This record gives sequence, C-alpha cells and structure tokens, in this order.
Amino acid sequence: MERNPNRFWNPYLAGVALGLVMLTAFLVMGKGLGASNTSLRIGVTALDVVAPGHVAATPPLAKTHSDGHPLDNWLVFEVFGVLLGGFVAAYTSGRLKREILKGPKIGNGARIALALGGGVLMGAAARMSRGCTSGQALTGGALQSVGAWAFMLSVFAGGYALAWFVRREWR
Amino acid sequence: MTFPFESLMAEHRELGLVVETLIGFGFGFTLERAGFGRAQKLAAQFYGTDMTVLKVMFSAIVTGMIGLVVASGLGLADFKAVADSAASSTYLWPMIVGGFALGIGFIVSGYCPGTSWVATASGKLDGLATVVGVVVGQVVYAELEWRPLLKGFHESGDLGNLYLWELLHLPPRIGPAVVAVAVAAMAVAAFLGAEKLEKALAARADPAAQASPAGRPGRVVFAGFATAAILGAVLLALPTGSQARGREAPSISQMELARRVLDEPWKVRVIDLRDMKECAAKRIPGSECVPAEKLGSLRLADASPSRDVVLVAAEGLGAVPASAAGFPGRLYVLAGGFKGWEAFALTAPAAPAAGASPEAIEEYRLRAGLNSAMTGMKAAPPPPPPAAAPSGPRKGGGGCGG
Repeated sequence: MERNPNRFWNPYLAGVALGLVMLTAFLVMGKGLGASNTSLRIGVTALDVVAPGHVAATPPLAKTHSDGHPLDNWLVFEVFGVLLGGFVAAYTSGRLKREILKGPKIGNGARIALALGGGVLMGAAARMSRGCTSGQALTGGALQSVGAWAFMLSVFAGGYALAWFVRREWR
Repeated sequence: MTFPFESLMAEHRELGLVVETLIGFGFGFTLERAGFGRAQKLAAQFYGTDMTVLKVMFSAIVTGMIGLVVASGLGLADFKAVADSAASSTYLWPMIVGGFALGIGFIVSGYCPGTSWVATASGKLDGLATVVGVVVGQVVYAELEWRPLLKGFHESGDLGNLYLWELLHLPPRIGPAVVAVAVAAMAVAAFLGAEKLEKALAARADPAAQASPAGRPGRVVFAGFATAAILGAVLLALPTGSQARGREAPSISQMELARRVLDEPWKVRVIDLRDMKECAAKRIPGSECVPAEKLGSLRLADASPSRDVVLVAAEGLGAVPASAAGFPGRLYVLAGGFKGWEAFALTAPAAPAAGASPEAIEEYRLRAGLNSAMTGMKAAPPPPPPAAAPSGPRKGGGGCGG
C-alpha cells in the first residue's frame, strides 16, 4: 500500500466506521467511548506519589480509588487501545513523525504553550460537563441524551466564537 | 440473547478489559485515518474550509444511534437500558458552560481530549502538550468541584437521565426511532451544507487541511442514512408492526391491583374481557366491560400510555391478545383472572392480631374495604385492633419532607 500522509479516509466512511466501533461498545460492554476520565486517573496516580493524604481527603480524587488502583479501570484500557490504534494507523499511513503541528506564522514555543493552555481549559471543561467530545458529544449524542446535545452545540459555539482571535495560530 | 454482556464488567472483568482495549484500538485507528491526529485539520472545522470534524462526528452519531435502534427493534438490546448505563445524566448549566469552554480549548489547542491521544501516538509534540494540559485541568477542576464555591453550579440544572424523545413527549417504544430518523435527516442536510461551504471557501483552504469531498462513498452513506430514515418512517407508520407480535405481559397480583384501584384509580385502566353479561353482573370496581372479541375497537395501540392497562379474563390469561399487544404503555394481566379476584375479594379477611405489623393492618383495611364494596355491605369494616407501640421514631415537622 502506498503511504501518502495527506491521504485520509473518506470522512463519511470514517464516520460510519467510528459509529460501528461505538455500536460495538454499546452492545458488548454496555458502555460508550471516553477519554477525559483517564486523564484524571493519570493525574491522581501522579498525586498519589507526592501527596497521598491529600488525594484521600478530596472526594472527587479519592473516587478514582473505588476499584482499587486508579488506573485499573475500563476507560484507561480503552485509551491504551486508542494509543495503540493511533500508532498503528499513523505508522501505516506514513504520518508517524516527531513534529509540532501549527500554522506557518507561529513559533514552536508559542504553539506548545497554546496547546498546553488549551488542554488545561479542556480538562477542566470536560470535568465540568461530565465528559468530553468522545464521552459526551459522541456517545451521549448517539444515545439521545439532552445534556449531550446541549454540550455539543455549545462546543461548536465556543470554537466558532474564538476562531477569529486565534487565526494566526493556524493560518 | 440480550446485549450487553454484563459479566464483562463483573466476573469476566479481565476479558472485558481486553475487549475495551480492542474497542479503543478501533477508536484510535479510525480517528487517525479520519485525519483527527492532525491539528490543522481539526482546527479548519472552525474556519469552514474543512468540515471533516462535522462529517465524521455526525456520521458516527447517526450510525451508532440507528444501529442501537435496530438492535432494540430486533430485541437484542434495550435502547434506554444502554443509554442509562453509557450516557451520563444531564446537568444542563455546567454542560452548556463546559461545552463552550471546551470549544475554546479545542480551537486553541487544536485537539479535543480524545484526539490529543491519537496525535501523541503519532509523534506530535503539540498533542502531547495537550494531553499534559488535560491531565492538569482535570485534576484542578476535580479539586474545586466539591468545594462550596463551585458545588452549587457544578450540580445545577440536574435533570437526571433525560433523553430527546422524552423532551418531545414521544412514547418510549417508538421515541428513540423517531428521533433517530429526525437526526439522520438533519445530518444529511448538514452534510450537504458543509460540502457547499467547503466549495465556496476552497481558495482559502490550508494545504495541510484539504477538504475531502463526499465523492461516491459519501453519496452511498447519504443514501444509506436517507434509506434508514425513510424505512424507519414507514415502519413507524404501520399501525401494528413487528412490535405487536408475541408480547408478554407481566401479571399483577390481586392485592396490588386492589391497592391501585383504591389508591390511584386515575393511573390504571382495568379492562374486563369476559362476556358482557357476566361482567355486568359482577366486576372489579371501576373496570370497563370489553369482551375479548371487541378489544380491537378500543384501539389500544393509539391509546395514551399514561394509564397502565390491566387485562382481566375469566381465569388466568395465556397469551396477550394481539389487539392489546400494540399498547405503548405498561400492560398487566390480572393473576388468576376474575375467579381468583372473587376468591380474594369476596371472602372477608380475618382481623389481624393485636401487635400485628403496620403492613398487615394496612392490608387488612384494604381487603376489608374491598370486601364490603364487592359484597354490597355498606357498614364500615370493624376498626382494627390498636397496634402495638409505633415502631421507630416519628419523623418530625411538616412541610414537604415530613
């Protein structure tokens, strides 16, 4: 197979494939897809090394211990699978490469800082809305949850509202 | 066979975790191949030049939704049960605010939390920075969410597990299918709009994020969604479609029915299927006399599901009549039929002994009242003997919590 980093799947077929993966999760596991809760679990694992007493005294953090180790959870294994799947797909498509993705008018340092800052904001936001674009918009959206649809419309609103201000990062 | 396999979360947990890893593999692989490991392609969604995010997301949502509706229609799964297990309950205000903030984080970082993992796996350092940021953000918000300052907001707009079909007051039997059809139609309209927009802005497109037009495969997907929508609409339009066949109704005990008839008669509709003559002579208070062969004239399939229907036959009822199977609400069969009811209601209950439990006394009162109503005895039933000392402390105060 020819490796062309600029060739992607047809977006509609990719969407159907993604939908079938999600449907498998619904039918086999009775669960959807998710990502952000794994990040909390990684954070708690790190905090456990530095300040275990503090974790135990903070209910939302302590809750990740309810099944034992915070990383012993189905969402963590799912994200592990995402890493594997992403790696294999990137390798076989010729997109596996250490680089920083950005528009032509912005420096590497600024781009990394913005990626980090945007990540912090998203992490907090995903916790606030009980899930991110995977767990809330995709999964909840397919399951017709009212909150998920309100969340999804809000995500697009937020993105479009700020796009003009950060155009130099991308264009 | 009914999905999901609950044992994968319990005794076969290890196998369940392997399955989760495989599901994650599929998730990550598809996201990468869709182009979601590349920040410019994700960001381009918000400049209108490459609407891949919208196309992939809505195709996935429609596919998953229709798939689950079909699986539920075939009896393989229960849409609401899966939704209750896999979707979180609705907290309206934090979800709206959180969504807006996540949208801002999305356009600033170029990823969403899920796609940042895919970017990291393909070597993108900005993706890794986003992953680190999400970890920090999650922990910081979790630190604050339960503290008095934020707790009120974090738990505001709590609507429980609320679904679109409930918001639209659709009956639960067809609601998910109706909404799925509507979402599929909306998605196809959005896709056509996205294709137009991409064409109009083609000159301004980022070379790293070229739009991928629908092409032949895309048109096949459109056609698939449209077919599913039309098929769904046709199936729903049929008065008693496949759902009517082979329905099993749970039985309701005489005691339970008596309680409901006396306590909340507005919530239950009792239909007596015996001969008109027999029914006219003696029947359960408040019941309708509708001989079995005339049941079709009630058009139960179109009746309001707000009142539960209880079917009463002469004796026990074997199968649910086809004319009742289409009823959208809850359907019960009276255990033992009218014969059992007579034995239950026409024999005067024995008065409970002194010191009997409050439940036993309550049951006695109910049965005595029922007995007097059925036998035509007008006098009030004799008062039950005084109960022993009330068990447990009484809750104080009045008001709503009293």
